[in-house]
Amino acid sequence: MTRTGRKSWRQWTPAAVAAGAVGAAALVAPFTANAAVDLPDKTAAEVLALVQEKDVDAFSGTVEQASNLGLPDLAGLTAPGGPPGGQNNDDGEPSPESAALELLTGSHTAQVFVNAPDQARLQVLDQLEERNVIRNGADLWYYNSDENEAIHATLEDHQKPDGEMQAPDDIATHFLEKIDASTEVTVGSDRMVAGRPVYDLILTPRSTETLLGSVTIAVDGETGLPLGVTVAAAGSSDPAFSSVFTEISYEEPAADLFAFTPPAGATVTEIQPGEHQGDHKRDHERDHVDKNAAEKPTVVGEGWDAVVVIPAGQQELPPELTQLSTPVEGGQLLSTTLVNVLITDDGHILAGSVTAERLQAVAAGQ
Amino acid sequence: MSSEVTVTRETVAPVRKSAGWRFLGSELSVLFRRRRTWALLAALAAIPVLIAVAVKLSSGPPRGRGPAFLDQVSQNGLFVAVVATIVAIPLFLPLTVGVVAGDTVAGEASTGTLRYLLMSPVARGRFLVVKYVGAVVFCLAATFTVAVVGTIMGALLFPIGPVTLLSGTTIDPPEALLRIALVCLYVTLSLLGLCAVGLFMSTLTDVPVGAMAATVVASVVSQVMGQLPQLEWIHPWLLTQYWLGFADLLRDPIVWDSFVANALLQAGYIVVFGALAYGRFSTKDVLA
Repeated sequence: MTRTGRKSWRQWTPAAVAAGAVGAAALVAPFTANAAVDLPDKTAAEVLALVQEKDVDAFSGTVEQASNLGLPDLAGLTAPGGPPGGQNNDDGEPSPESAALELLTGSHTAQVFVNAPDQARLQVLDQLEERNVIRNGADLWYYNSDENEAIHATLEDHQKPDGEMQAPDDIATHFLEKIDASTEVTVGSDRMVAGRPVYDLILTPRSTETLLGSVTIAVDGETGLPLGVTVAAAGSSDPAFSSVFTEISYEEPAADLFAFTPPAGATVTEIQPGEHQGDHKRDHERDHVDKNAAEKPTVVGEGWDAVVVIPAGQQELPPELTQLSTPVEGGQLLSTTLVNVLITDDGHILAGSVTAERLQAVAAGQ
Repeated sequence: MSSEVTVTRETVAPVRKSAGWRFLGSELSVLFRRRRTWALLAALAAIPVLIAVAVKLSSGPPRGRGPAFLDQVSQNGLFVAVVATIVAIPLFLPLTVGVVAGDTVAGEASTGTLRYLLMSPVARGRFLVVKYVGAVVFCLAATFTVAVVGTIMGALLFPIGPVTLLSGTTIDPPEALLRIALVCLYVTLSLLGLCAVGLFMSTLTDVPVGAMAATVVASVVSQVMGQLPQLEWIHPWLLTQYWLGFADLLRDPIVWDSFVANALLQAGYIVVFGALAYGRFSTKDVLA
């Protein structure tokens, strides 16, 4: 070999070795964390019982939520803070509906602290900002760092704040309630989630009308706490939605995490008991009370085929969503991988994890 | 050029250990006696000064305009340091770090001093380490310049009081200063990978401006790629991925995940680009 040839070979050897080592470390690390797990075999019914009898009073952890609903990433359009360090429009105030929508696109990280029965805190960790929902006894606080705005409500019963990100165990409860004869429940292979061995409980709807392919719930093999929920659309193996703990600890969280005092300078809004949660924004003080009294949303069908029908004029969809809808027979259809929404020509809104045809059939029957 | 003046690695004198430390000392004193270094630091110091004066002269920006936390500056001077850091991160810090890191080897080569440095008993690997540490010390100086000048300007022009964290918790000014220092360390850590890239670029050329530009371009390209959702698969590997993650230090409780992830990422860049720089430099025939 010539001297130049040997030199150029020698020149890049350290870099090749280093790059190889870094790449190998990055690839191997996730697998070692996922080493072989062997839990005692359980049937689906036994795992369900484990969830129902779960005896977890306190835990804290980090949750990663990712959605791939086939919607464009609305985070840039509707995120409370807009692009990091960027400018917002003067009227860039997001509506509560947009905020909820934003949580359903892209990915989010949150910290969850729970001390049963009546203390809980959820911190949605956005870039350079944070949203908090804190429950301490009968007090419910919402705090948004971007707007330095605090909302206080007094809870009468065990109502939950809506419009915010939920922890996997709450989402799991939502799906477990749907289990009926139309659901096939199986147990997948054991694996690790957040460093805990888990059973995978797989719910497969037998219905052909639903958009959902399967729901996988990772159940902590010891405590029975659902540590992750993954939803796949019918005919697809990629998760369309997932909410999974990446860290979990069963130690009791520090008490001062649940004691919230609004910081000086924050705008504090009091919500009187009975008032609707989403109505706190100044430009949303609409005359909901009258309309609510008139007609209530109804649910048609049950289980996986359920369709929510919202009577005309009660609820407006955020403009971002109406722009994304396409005209179909009988109205406008907003289609995502997991949920279809039909806005009929006469203003009814029908929503459900079902095919567009079923929505149209239900609309025709109204 | 005759072959006698070409210093190849075979002609390096035997290495003594203490020489490395002495070399580091002289490297730092050269770096910080340079007028250019002070000009860079002065440019960085101008950021918090401008922010503080602008906010003082205006009636305070409306909510939701400008960089995060800007609207809080008029109520609490400690936020000047935080806002200035946010403003400096995307371009000004990488720019100054690029200048220093890109100059490390190429600068010596262009002035013709590299040959003499390598004739002293310092191995080439150690030479690179010393140059790299010098650039890292500059990173530290740069981030703390922004924060310290910001804090001083904030204290001069605005009231100083308890600081509201992102989680809505209020902390006293001394703890807030501690958090700001932590943010500085985080930002310094974020720049270590870029320093390694700059060092490597610097070994490729004898024209310092080229290496400086290439380093700054690397940071800008990385940030642009980080903005494109189509390239999401590559995001975890980007040099700049966690640059704004310092906000996790302003939460209660502090979230350390991004600090750890950032440290691992930057370590990966240091290893790879350090090895690239070593491979290139240890076999380089230094002609100037």
